[in-house]
Amino acid sequence: MIGLGGQDEKILRSHCRICHGGCGVLVYVKEGRVTKIEGDPQCPINRGTLCPKGIASLQLVYHPNRLLYPLKRKGPKGGGGWEKISWEEAYDLLVSKINEYKNGYGAESIVLGYGTGRDNESFIYRFANLLGTPNVLTAGHMCYGPRVSTSIITCGNLPVCDYEGNPKCIMVWGNNAIISNPDEYKGLYLSDALAKGAKLIVVDPRFTKLADRSDLWLQLRPGTDVALALGMLHVIIEEELYDKEFVGNWIYGWNEFVDRVKEYPPQRVSEITWVPEEKIREAARLFAKTKPACIQWGVAIEQSINCVDNNRSLIALAAVTGNLDVPGGMVFYVPPPVMNASQFGLHRLLPPEQRKKRLGGEVFKLADAFAIINPRFVWEAILYEKPYPVKMVFLISSNPIMTRANASMVYEALKKVEFLAVSDFFLTPTAEMADLVLPSATWLEMDYVAEIWKRHGYALARQKVIQVGECKSDHEMLLELGNRLGQKEYWWPTLREALNAILAPSGLTFEEFLEIGHLQGKMEYRKYLKKGFSTPTQKVELYSTRMKEWGYDPLPKFREPPESPISRPDRVKDYPYILITGMRPTAFFHSEHRQIPWLRELLPEPLVEIHPETAEKEGIKEGDWVVIESPRGRCYQRAKLTLGIDPRVIGAQHAWWFPEKEAPEHGWKESNINLLTDNDPSTCDPAMGATNLRVLMCRVSPKKD
Amino acid sequence: MTKKLALFIDEDLCWGCDACELACKQENHLSEGSRWIRVRTKGVQRVNGKLKLTYSPARCVQCTHPPCQEVCPVKAITQRSDGIVLIDSNGCIGCKKCIEACPFGVMQFNQEKGVAEKCHLCYHRIDQGLKPACVDVCIGRCIYFGEMAELVNRYGERRWLSGRNGNERTTGL
Repeated sequence: MIGLGGQDEKILRSHCRICHGGCGVLVYVKEGRVTKIEGDPQCPINRGTLCPKGIASLQLVYHPNRLLYPLKRKGPKGGGGWEKISWEEAYDLLVSKINEYKNGYGAESIVLGYGTGRDNESFIYRFANLLGTPNVLTAGHMCYGPRVSTSIITCGNLPVCDYEGNPKCIMVWGNNAIISNPDEYKGLYLSDALAKGAKLIVVDPRFTKLADRSDLWLQLRPGTDVALALGMLHVIIEEELYDKEFVGNWIYGWNEFVDRVKEYPPQRVSEITWVPEEKIREAARLFAKTKPACIQWGVAIEQSINCVDNNRSLIALAAVTGNLDVPGGMVFYVPPPVMNASQFGLHRLLPPEQRKKRLGGEVFKLADAFAIINPRFVWEAILYEKPYPVKMVFLISSNPIMTRANASMVYEALKKVEFLAVSDFFLTPTAEMADLVLPSATWLEMDYVAEIWKRHGYALARQKVIQVGECKSDHEMLLELGNRLGQKEYWWPTLREALNAILAPSGLTFEEFLEIGHLQGKMEYRKYLKKGFSTPTQKVELYSTRMKEWGYDPLPKFREPPESPISRPDRVKDYPYILITGMRPTAFFHSEHRQIPWLRELLPEPLVEIHPETAEKEGIKEGDWVVIESPRGRCYQRAKLTLGIDPRVIGAQHAWWFPEKEAPEHGWKESNINLLTDNDPSTCDPAMGATNLRVLMCRVSPKKD
Repeated sequence: MTKKLALFIDEDLCWGCDACELACKQENHLSEGSRWIRVRTKGVQRVNGKLKLTYSPARCVQCTHPPCQEVCPVKAITQRSDGIVLIDSNGCIGCKKCIEACPFGVMQFNQEKGVAEKCHLCYHRIDQGLKPACVDVCIGRCIYFGEMAELVNRYGERRWLSGRNGNERTTGL
């Protein structure tokens, strides 16, 4: 407790987790109820600010439809019938099912899963590794995982824009850090840097507010990011704008890299990307000549067949301009002295023979090296029992019917799987398909040493301020289940002891940690001067020795998106537009929050962005319900006409369902853009298995009723 | 004479993130439909051949001579000496004349209680020496609270009347 508010009101300090988390908050509690949530002015991450979702957590915790106790299916699967059970009964059922499948089909027949993760990832991996299953289904193949894994094989760690070091030029690449969580710094730092006068280059097919504020906006053809980056590198190399000393000392494979870049002269890149040649040159010069400079990048360019090479080419831009690990450039944060998520995950305890069974591991080798799988392989193992049957799926904070590509296939798989357990806040369309549903605690109902998986240099104190129903944190649930499954040796009797173990290297107990609020690693720049980069050659591998080992192209290159007017001219007649999906609203985090009144008011219905010329051609007016169709399916969203998108491109929102509509479907088929997306492995990134959610072909028409 | 208080919003710096709206809703316990501060936008516009996107957080500007006060048939609208315009929810009869009279379209109607309501600069906070709830939550740092004369002096009158030209926000982003 840090003080008193009004009468009988306590103020507690914690860290928000309504999205991917990290903002410090003050929570006001009166008579055991949260009354108010404010940004914590003392938290260095958000300094008193807070987003709409964080504030609306108040309506999340006390939502009348929240799951308050465990539920067991009654009647047919997906039939909407439930029976209230105790936690003891729920654990007994889980233990018996897990033992049944492990003994009958091997631990690999049990898949653990999370979506973006609710800061429960390291507990889930620990549980899975101790159980012996190599199959943890995450979003890691197409979100953050690629950034981390590509960075590690290229330059040893994830380079992050160092806003505190005062960048003079920021290149925001396929990212809207202002309204979505970029994981390390929050939008406040970007906003402050711009207020201080940093130059801004924005690469985005949509005209966002960031584009409005930019010095240069590069409106590229969706899916061509790596070509654009290589085109900029071409200019930088041709005009000798690179940092010769850094390149001479610290780049591995420079000559091979230069030869590859030569294949991307601005004229060719302009044809590929739609960005005028002069703008490519201008952006390259501005970025290379303004020091220090950094790149704010994110998930959009990862959900692509070019995922790994998009990331590699951006790292190359930062590296050759001498911006790696320098103040205001792109830096490697130093973690605080606590056990990190990877250590906690106990990956080393997964037996090698089990690791070899990881679904799709022999196909997507970069993903396999980081314990990440592509979802398609799970659905196939359920539906066709190949290469072996998956009998049980245990989803902990995940709603794949809304958020995974090819929603029809996901639905069929979840319908077929013998035992589906889901831990969540509400009966989502996915939870409605379950055999067992567990009521998960929100961030206001849990103790945790938070966000130690992010490469941002912090460990944050999250504390339990209330208890709602019989809800339990996923950490506590997995610890208790692990203890019941004979994993006792590797767990602790209580969660508090587990948290103390995570904190042990710092010498703090959890109580002491709560008093401090957060721990921060001591930042050092240019660490490579002492110990090189943590890669096989100790240099920045623009020519990747690991990729070569695995049989992939060691150099980045542009691949035409698998479904575009160029790769599939045969489809242009029926599907004349490029469809991009997943544009972020301020109100929601993926499939969450549509039942929260304050947030739903901000955005009551799904929107599809269409250029006015295109709308006129297709007979669509502002606010019309529009049918969006791809070769795989269709859904409906409302037309938002905007000059901020190219007339050849359509921009749809993702993860829309309608909690207020009738159970068990809750309207999941109506506006779900993932009925249109593809999950065929040939359309995914060859090394990472990243699903191509972002660039498809579509047609649009007014919905007739 | 008591100094007039006001909120100034630098629209050029507004990111359109809606945090001010939610901070206001939480602070003033607002139900759905009542939005005392509301981020409006006309969407992407073409201005002198260039694209432009502006967000305008509209809220009561605490007029010096409030038209809402003039038309209220039951004198439920009053003005404090610091300029804050207040609606007495016990006195309001819900006739909506003030809603029609407001030149900025920011007067709200509470469906549950059947009364008009609007931004009052969080006077309950101000009276305790705090700032209105929307100020510190803003990541654009574009909402300023203080004495009107000083704010006008510092920022000019240019953007005082935000909301007047902002279209009703229908499309969310």
